[in-house]
Amino acid sequence: MIRTIVVDDELYAREALIELLQPFSQIEIIAQCANAIEAMQKINQLKPDLVFLDIHMPKISGMELLAMQDPENMPYFVFVTAYDEFAINAFEHHAFDYLLKPVEPQRLHKTIDKLQLVNHKQTITAIAPEQLQHIPCFNGSRLKVVKTDEIEFVMSDVGGVHVYNQNGMSHTQLTLKVLEQKTPLIRCHRQYLITPAAIREIELLDTGAQITTTSGQHVPVSRRYLKELKSLFGF
Amino acid sequence: MIVLLSMSLILLLTQQMCLYLVIVYLVSKTPLFKPFTEDSSRLPHKVFIYFFFSTFCIIASYFGEQTQDAIANTRALGAVLGGLLGGPVTGFFIGLTGGIHRYTLGGFTDIACTISTTLEGLSAGLISRYFQSINKRELIYHPIIVFIITLYAELMQMTIILMVATPFDEAWRLVQQIAPPMLLVNSIGAAMFMSMIRDQKTMQDKLSSNFTTQALRIAERSVGLLSTGFNPLTCTQVANIVREETKVGAVAITDREKILAFIGLGDDHHLPNTPISSQITLDAIEHNQVMFADGVHQSYACSISPQCKLGSSLVIPLTCGNQVIGTIKLYEPKNKFFLNINRTLGEGIAKLLSNQIQFGRIEQQQHLLVQSELKLLQAQINPHFLFNALNTISAIVKRDPEQSRALLLQLSQFLRINLKRSHSLVSLNDELEHIQAYLAIEKARFAEQLHIEIDIADELLTLYLPAFTLQPIIENAVKHGTSHLFEPGHILVTAESEGSHLILTVRDNAGLYQINTKSEGLGMNIVHKRIQNLFGNSYGVRVQVEPEQSTSVIITLPLKEQAQ
Repeated sequence: MIRTIVVDDELYAREALIELLQPFSQIEIIAQCANAIEAMQKINQLKPDLVFLDIHMPKISGMELLAMQDPENMPYFVFVTAYDEFAINAFEHHAFDYLLKPVEPQRLHKTIDKLQLVNHKQTITAIAPEQLQHIPCFNGSRLKVVKTDEIEFVMSDVGGVHVYNQNGMSHTQLTLKVLEQKTPLIRCHRQYLITPAAIREIELLDTGAQITTTSGQHVPVSRRYLKELKSLFGF
Repeated sequence: MIVLLSMSLILLLTQQMCLYLVIVYLVSKTPLFKPFTEDSSRLPHKVFIYFFFSTFCIIASYFGEQTQDAIANTRALGAVLGGLLGGPVTGFFIGLTGGIHRYTLGGFTDIACTISTTLEGLSAGLISRYFQSINKRELIYHPIIVFIITLYAELMQMTIILMVATPFDEAWRLVQQIAPPMLLVNSIGAAMFMSMIRDQKTMQDKLSSNFTTQALRIAERSVGLLSTGFNPLTCTQVANIVREETKVGAVAITDREKILAFIGLGDDHHLPNTPISSQITLDAIEHNQVMFADGVHQSYACSISPQCKLGSSLVIPLTCGNQVIGTIKLYEPKNKFFLNINRTLGEGIAKLLSNQIQFGRIEQQQHLLVQSELKLLQAQINPHFLFNALNTISAIVKRDPEQSRALLLQLSQFLRINLKRSHSLVSLNDELEHIQAYLAIEKARFAEQLHIEIDIADELLTLYLPAFTLQPIIENAVKHGTSHLFEPGHILVTAESEGSHLILTVRDNAGLYQINTKSEGLGMNIVHKRIQNLFGNSYGVRVQVEPEQSTSVIITLPLKEQAQ
């Protein structure tokens, strides 16, 4: 069984696609999502094999969602789009599967038939944005989008990944690894990423150092990353 | 004996005075006289007055009547008038010049006359300055006042002769003899001279104010007429106005080929919509030059009918940019002289009309531009919208055939309105119908993610507004606003009448409007421009944003009960 998630902000578009997928016995729909944040959550939680992903969605596009994936551990994506000329060119060029809305059953057939879920790596760097402008977050059940340049630091613990800015903390589904790669944040501790522009002072300690951010929050620096951090500021 | 002598002196001096007045009268008909009638304090003007009246003083001394080793004369007249018209400094120098000249002629009163003439000029100047300071300069043109001033000036001269000239006995006899004639003739002469100046001045003022009034009336009555188009209808109206105001025999307006309008004498054979037949008109068009056939030096004869009464013609090209687009022609009949003033006025009118035509063209071009932008906007929107609509319908057609049928009907309704819609005014009700069709489709597309409330009182539904005013704004609210929300979007459309304004507000709960985004600006800009084009700068579209909270687009329109 191919465990599948359908992501589209339009309810009827989702339902129509799910309906079209019904005849394929190997496809099992395990979730449907109306936006990228929900999708991020479901992908992390359910680890699907296949995701049908709409490009035009509120706040975070399908392309950005792709950029947020951990390349080592991500499902196979098939894009669904109506008229994004630019994206379609990119898909063609980098051999990504895509479907045009409204989806033709024959075309869907072809796509499903040639799915190569195993041993096929989708190189997302080719089409996804290199840097993330927004980080999808949630506070409790409230979805929100935090601008990357407003983040002070990010911390991960058993509860997940927490994003701190001046106004407080929210959770994200993104991994520290993806955040380190796709944002200006740098590693200062095994569990912490810091925005260099948000550092007010660095206090040297026996165990390493402690950063005070512009809004007065404290972030630990381990000895391992201290040297790199110091060189960043020319010490 | 003395009395008789006085009488003959009076007659002599009066004779002299009459000669002067005739000369002055003749001069008053030439442009040379203009400086006297102008209230000007400029130096050239003063220099002119100085030379004129100094000459006057000198001539007066020459032509004076030798009496007892002295000269009875009208020199005072020059000094006093010079002082009044030129002010104290000019007056002083005129008096001094006249006085010094008098001194060279000798006689026992030479010094007395020099002093008195200088003082006369100066004091007249001071009086003139005084009148000016109390804002009553017009008093110096008043003949009676001039009479009194000159009388006093001459009395002063007599007193000075008595005081300065020696021997006193002789001076006393002289004064007895010359005082009455000089007092009388100088005073009357000055008064008459000034009265002439005054008449000339009044006439000129009246003439120029007539001219100005005429020009202004033509401008006022014809304003905007030609800017609506350069065609037979508007040209006939303008020609009528020009003829009524200038009272010339006939007025015609042509384009480059044919007569557009002809009003007045000869309209029985000068017919509108016939080709131009007179050579001077064709020349005026070809060379972009004012052509004038006065009927005397350059003969004018109607090229159509030998019975035509018209005898002179002025042809002025009408231009738009650098291009001649036609002419305006003024005619006078053979028995009437073509007034110079009408020539000047004619050229002024042509300039005025040319400006109007040009203005009209610019306005029309601007209008066209907005129209085409609007078309572009419609053309630009429809494919995306249509595409989304079809996708939505195709998505639901299997599950809910009824709803898809309804949506298809809404879609065709929307497209029909879009196609047949003119760009003129429509009722708010019609505009809402168009929006409803649009929203029904968007509503289906976004389902629970979009809520729309239209809160408009029934009595406002009959008001008029330009077509496509609300629709692009609401489309923006969805496209750039609520469709970017995770939570459901809310759009509220309201209308209010405030005094003479109709205020429409489209408010969404996204608050994502950014002034610099071009795509969003385009539709809104066109709506804004079109409203301003139609109704003026106090109307239009403005935006209030509370970031992440709400965007309100506020459209201000005039309260219009009718489509016109």
